This record gives sequence, structure tokens and C-alpha cells, in this order.
Amino acid sequence: MTTVMAVTYFEDTALDHVVTSPAITLTAAHVSLYSGLTGDARDDPTLVPDGLPICISTGLGWRVDRPPLAVMAFMSMEWQPIRTLRVGDTIYGHSRVATRRAMREGGVVIEEHELIDQRGEVVARGRFTFLVARRPV
Amino acid sequence: MAAGRRYFDEIEVGEEFESPGRTVTETDIVLFAGLSGDYNVLHTDAEFMKKSIFGERIAHGLLGLAIQSGLFYRTGRVYATLALAGLKWKFKGPIKIGDTIRLRTRVSSKRETAKADRGVVVVERTLLNQRDEVVQEGETELMVERKPA
Repeated sequence: MTTVMAVTYFEDTALDHVVTSPAITLTAAHVSLYSGLTGDARDDPTLVPDGLPICISTGLGWRVDRPPLAVMAFMSMEWQPIRTLRVGDTIYGHSRVATRRAMREGGVVIEEHELIDQRGEVVARGRFTFLVARRPV
Repeated sequence: MAAGRRYFDEIEVGEEFESPGRTVTETDIVLFAGLSGDYNVLHTDAEFMKKSIFGERIAHGLLGLAIQSGLFYRTGRVYATLALAGLKWKFKGPIKIGDTIRLRTRVSSKRETAKADRGVVVVERTLLNQRDEVVQEGETELMVERKPA
């Protein structure tokens, strides 16, 4: 019997494939843990630090109906916040495979992300570039 | 408001800053996995990572990004930042448990916006480890308050 790890290899990714995550409510606990861990704090404790939604959005990608990408390296990212989030806001993410390019070892996958709040408004947009492993032979 | 906050008008293009160092611990990585929900084996499976090119667990790239944003607050001359307006970032090398990272920044440009009470400050950032290797680098655009008239 072989054990198969529950991951999505480069071969399993598809261009334009869209994934929608479940939502999460941003709480004072998230803000206080994040601020304590990173030292990134704002004067107003009801404001969500800019970096926190980025971090939460990657975790939301672990709660979708597809095993996580077999990421060998997180290469780069771009992020554009559109609206400041406050404690009590509930966000979820959409991601789309915008580019996939085979390399000698693994492949490059670029995902376009949107974070959406409880009003249906896009609160941030981003692009994440990953080096993803090929399925072992 | 904290004392000594610096307004858009007081920030000079070309000014540089180097932060204190911070040693990244296993605790930081475990806490970050719990907070973000990102449990990738790269960060959480010590046995799997022994056989990887890194030889051990590495910090989440986004943990490095988050820590550098905290290090930026330790300039002692905090900007009157309203919000992050944009980020471009490259993850150049691994941050391992026990590595000590520090941030070097330079203000590369400033621009006014349509709103009279704020401007955009562009900050180039380099995150270095104890061997002076660049582990992350990028650019942030910060929306900063203008000095009240």
C-alpha cells in the first residue's frame, strides 16, 4: 500500500481554476495575537493591521475543497489594500490561477487573490507567485 | 497619539534606517501557523523538512513580512501612517529557527494625492539575516497624514 500525501502538485493545477474560501470573522483576539507576535500595532485597537488580512488569506486557502499546493518556495507577492478592515469584519477569499509555467524542477503558479467582506465589497487584491513541486514519479 | 509621529511633509526622500535585530524562534513559527491557519509542512513538519533542501523547518515567508513591519515601528520616529497603499515583495531566501533578522529601509519617493490631508511615501525595504544575506526585499507604499495646517 502506498501513502499519498494530500497535496496539489503542479500537474494538478489548471489555468483559470477558481477557488472560493470559507469566511472568517476578524476578532480582537486576532489583532492582539498578531500585534504581540509581530510588534506591528496601531493606535486604534479596533483597526486590523494591514499585514493581518494577508496572513489570514493564506490560511483560508487551507480550508477549501482542494488539498493545499505542494509549495516548494513562496517566490513573490503583490498586495493592494482597498479598504481598511475593522474588528468584527468577516472576510473570505477568491483565488484564480492566472499563470502556470513548467520549470525543470516543479512549476511556477501565479494566483490572483481577492478578499471580500460581509458587504460583498473587495477589500484587497493580491498576486502570489509560488514554486510548486511536481508529482513524484 | 504617540509622540513624535512624523508627517508626510517631515519625511525626506533618501532617508535611511536600520532596525534592531530580532531572533526568529520556533515559538514565532508555531504561533504564526495557528494565527494564519497556514500549516504547510515547510513550517510544521520537522521530520519531512530534514530531507528537504533546507534541512529543517523554515519560517513562513509572510511571518518575515509581518515581523519586518513590526521592526519598522522601532525606528523611534514612527510615521503618521493612515494605511498601507501597496506592497511588492520578494522572498529571496529561507529564515530558519534561530536566525536573527533586521530591516534596512530607504525612502525612495514621495507623492501628493488628490486628498489634501495625505500623501504617499514609498519605502524600499531589505530584510537581512545575521550573515548579511538578503532574505526578503520589496517596496511598500504608505499613505501618510500631512501636517495639520
